[in-house]
Amino acid sequence: MRNDAPALATAAPGRWRLSSAAPILVAALAAAALWVAPSVLDPFATNVLTRSMIYAVLAVTVDLLWGFMGALTFGQAAFFGIGAYAAAMLLGQYGGAPQWMAAALGLAVAVPAALGLAVGWLSFYHRSTALYASVVSLVVPIVVVQLIYSGGEWTGSSSGLVGFDVLPFEIEGYFRLAAIVMVAVTLAAWVFARSDAGRALVAVRDNDARCAYLGLDPKRLQVVMTTVLAGVAGLAGFVFANASGVVAPENAGFLFGTELVIWVALGGRGTLLGPVLGTIGIDYLGANLSGDLPFLWQLLLGATFVAVIILLPGGLAEIAKRAFAVLPSKGAEETAPRLVARPPKPIQVASEHPLLTVSGLAKSYGSLKVLENIDLAIRPGELVSLVGPNGAGKTTLMRCLSDGTEPISGAITVDGAPIAGLAPDRIVALGVGRKFQVASVFESLTVAECLLLARASQDGLSLVGQAGTLSLPQAALDVMRMTGLDRLLGTSVRLLSHGQKQALELSMVVALEPRIILLDEPTAGLTKAERTTIGTVLKTLTSDLGIAAVLVEHDLDFVREISSRIVVLHQGRLVLDGTVDEVVGSELVKTIYSGGGHD
Amino acid sequence: MLLILDIMTTAAILFVVAIGLLAIFGVLKIINFAHGAWLTIGAYCAVVTAQLGFNPWLALPLAFLVGGALGGLAELFIIRPLYRRPLDAILATWGLGIVIGQLITLGFGRDVQFTPNLLSGTVTVLGTDYSAYRLVALAAALVIGVAFAATMEGTRLGLSARAVIMNETLARGLGIDTARVRLITFMIGAGLAALAGVLLTPLTSVDPTMGVGWLIGAFMLVMVANGSLLALAIACLLFGAAQVLISTFVSPILGSIAIAILAALVLRVSPKGFARA
Repeated sequence: MRNDAPALATAAPGRWRLSSAAPILVAALAAAALWVAPSVLDPFATNVLTRSMIYAVLAVTVDLLWGFMGALTFGQAAFFGIGAYAAAMLLGQYGGAPQWMAAALGLAVAVPAALGLAVGWLSFYHRSTALYASVVSLVVPIVVVQLIYSGGEWTGSSSGLVGFDVLPFEIEGYFRLAAIVMVAVTLAAWVFARSDAGRALVAVRDNDARCAYLGLDPKRLQVVMTTVLAGVAGLAGFVFANASGVVAPENAGFLFGTELVIWVALGGRGTLLGPVLGTIGIDYLGANLSGDLPFLWQLLLGATFVAVIILLPGGLAEIAKRAFAVLPSKGAEETAPRLVARPPKPIQVASEHPLLTVSGLAKSYGSLKVLENIDLAIRPGELVSLVGPNGAGKTTLMRCLSDGTEPISGAITVDGAPIAGLAPDRIVALGVGRKFQVASVFESLTVAECLLLARASQDGLSLVGQAGTLSLPQAALDVMRMTGLDRLLGTSVRLLSHGQKQALELSMVVALEPRIILLDEPTAGLTKAERTTIGTVLKTLTSDLGIAAVLVEHDLDFVREISSRIVVLHQGRLVLDGTVDEVVGSELVKTIYSGGGHD
Repeated sequence: MLLILDIMTTAAILFVVAIGLLAIFGVLKIINFAHGAWLTIGAYCAVVTAQLGFNPWLALPLAFLVGGALGGLAELFIIRPLYRRPLDAILATWGLGIVIGQLITLGFGRDVQFTPNLLSGTVTVLGTDYSAYRLVALAAALVIGVAFAATMEGTRLGLSARAVIMNETLARGLGIDTARVRLITFMIGAGLAALAGVLLTPLTSVDPTMGVGWLIGAFMLVMVANGSLLALAIACLLFGAAQVLISTFVSPILGSIAIAILAALVLRVSPKGFARA
């Protein structure tokens, strides 16, 4: 084992400070420029741009939900409309005295946020699909618009509401209000998206199953984001109702929801600034052109949208990025945190008390029985290999052990606690880490970010900043050193080799400090040297730290070398459970592997 | 009796409108958000047929051909590059729908067009006077449904399509030209959508944005049917009944959103909808 310090990719402190201050600098400049802008703009431009900037706030929320988190949504229009209507209805009823204005603001944020919570709960649940969330986001604006139509005098039905009291501003004042809200929301989104918690959004988009198996609750994150951003959309609705003095059902409609998506896509999803500039540019251009060429403008926009989706998924921001990439730039290397070892957890004492018990486990898909009558107990410090021919039910057994929502009969307990009904993230909290057969990592993140997320369920994530150090258990550091990952902290996972991804996933699982580790063919597709490394790591984990390991493996030589016990599965039944010598010498195993034994 | 007829014919119309979308979703696993635009194309085929002074029934084959041909172009240039990005395909087809809507506006103006009734008057069914045309729509739904099922079950194309539905990689490995299956399926789906557009003309006003209103209902039904024709028929009957009953006894506005809400709830409880594999 090498003892040299891990390579540091941390940037020089000066540049570091500059880059973290960049959003605030840009925001301050933008705010200052927009503050003076109304004095040089004509009233038409001022009015239009006020509206455009309010829409840009919505574009930021759509970008966070769709561009970063991967949930395509048409529903932000509904939350915007509800915010606008809530403000207009309250102000129309009670007038614009300061206390009612404050109440209107509160209502315009709280009502959409409450609905957002309900929509989020409906959209995101264990095993929900991205498409289902989009379906719900389509239903919401349709329902909201119909409710507005049926609201009679309350909502003004199809003609909307006018003539309610608004903030006592001139058009320059509304422009500045919209500008401040836009800059503030964009800045907050920017800081959040760059923070460690913001990277978790991307992780959910990339691979929400992996998030769950790191003990994070991806669905809760999605629900929280939906709720908060519904509130932000409501805030934009409040500003809109004041600035325009009119609210209409179209403001909440599905068509407006699709327009928001179009602006974000054209500007460049996942870039924040792209959608903001795209929205302002397109809405302003549209306001100027649609008077003269109403249909042609829509036609042009539609055609550009189709072309961008097909040819340039990154939107106009991608063109800008490519243009900048041509320029010589220094410091292209990602900044990465410094690695430190965290104090070890107390070693588990090898005891006869089993950590994992399986009793009478059976699982079937329809009439096909995949597992039958499995009884198994695994104690701390054991390294149990699960062998058997293809289709014996090994991977299914692993899934049943790590996901309590799998429909099974029989019982599984971890340290005495039954896992029935528990989602994967809750089972991780009980101390079970799972490594998948095909490396399950986050392609869009760097190595360091992946590991940071692996620690997030225990250490938390910063909402505003990036961690300067990455504190991992010694065992995870060992895996990284032996596989060379410690020198690739700032590298994008997409660029790693197959073996490096496997090693990264193993490091992530080990970083969870599990008490039981489930590994599905950790050596598949690895070189001989890499296998030996992984074998050494597993032996250290089990014998030195007292972790229990369950390993699915086809390579019998490897199994013989490292296992303390071997369990043989055949056609869904547990046919043999014994020491290495007992199993390897068994006639039954020879028959099974030579193709006989089909009863 | 009136209520039962209303339910049957509403379900039939929903079925006719949704089947083109179902064909495409079933095989291509892609949601064609330009479906509404193809309904509009079909309706304008009826307008053109009427302007040229032909028999209005001629619009049906014309719409099927025009819709299918345009569908072929759309598949080649827009859908094909996006097979691996299904969410982006929703967006691109939505954009295509905007383009088609604007082109129709440029060509025909944004005003409501009038088409001659395919069939007018009422007939007496078991003592109730009922719109003859709605009964024709019911018959049309049965014919289209049976023809579609027969194509899937009885022809070589149907066999290939079912193979692609089950396991596309394996189908390709067995020498099935999956790209061609996708192309033809998309053309058929688009043709059926245009056909539905013609059948809608006596029931709804014809204007460049007429398709959008139907799109969402069809989309919801297809989601619940999850690619299965039988499940689509069941979904149309159940949700059509819900729509008619709620519109009649509670409020027409609630009735108009009944399908969307019910579909979302059904999918929440059972992600595969009515199609139990």
